[in-house]
Amino acid sequence: MMTCKDVSTLVSMGDIERAPMARRMAVWLHLAMCRHCRAFRRQMALIGRAAHLASEAFGHEPSTRFEGKILEHLGL
Amino acid sequence: MAFGGHISLQDLRARDPAALRDVVNQHARRLYRAARGMGFSASDAEDLVQDVFVTFLETIERFEGRSEVGTWLVGILYHKAQERRRAHAREDLTDAVDEIFDGRFKSDGSWREPPIPADRLVAAGQTAEALRECLGGLPDQHRKVFQLRQLEELSTADVSEMIGCTINHVGVLFHRARVQLRACLEAKGWGRSR
Repeated sequence: MMTCKDVSTLVSMGDIERAPMARRMAVWLHLAMCRHCRAFRRQMALIGRAAHLASEAFGHEPSTRFEGKILEHLGL
Repeated sequence: MAFGGHISLQDLRARDPAALRDVVNQHARRLYRAARGMGFSASDAEDLVQDVFVTFLETIERFEGRSEVGTWLVGILYHKAQERRRAHAREDLTDAVDEIFDGRFKSDGSWREPPIPADRLVAAGQTAEALRECLGGLPDQHRKVFQLRQLEELSTADVSEMIGCTINHVGVLFHRARVQLRACLEAKGWGRSR
């Protein structure tokens, strides 16, 4: 029987799909029964969405002619 | 896969200028954003990306086309970033991170401090602002793995090959990054604003 700690560790490692079928089934069964672990999984998803927004929203764009400067440097 | 576009391997190996220009135009900005996400300043990120393309050009014979060009370039970026940051490695926080996570659970593995339900969490937009500061506090290796797995959406296997460690270790590093981000967000009041 998987504990909340086992399940949340696997959720946080982000690779449940790669786990063997029996383990995946155990995780999904646990998640179906445990609202705390479901809340944890939603937190992880929210961190992922927020990270994408943070990356898009904070002006991570290079200077103008960025590609041009690289091409010049490469002699292209 | 996060990087798209089809460029002929043959043209790349022949250093065809048009193909190389396509590679730069397709991937430079994404690499720049990844470098910024790894914590480099704007000017350092531009230098780093320039270095990536120099190395790409120098090592193009080793690119066998088994992965996407973009994935190969992110691999070079990762190694260049490691070279620049080696002196500032902060892997000594590992035990403390595991303690943060372990402290959430009782000895039988059930929650001691259950996670905050989603309807009490602030929205992703507000979380993003706080998260930006929290990302700056991550140890270098954790931040890079978070960037590659979460934002570049590379598979664990690709990241494992890129950084030269086992698939399981990539999972552990990603887990530790997210544990720290969650703890940092909670310290900033995540879940208390609604």
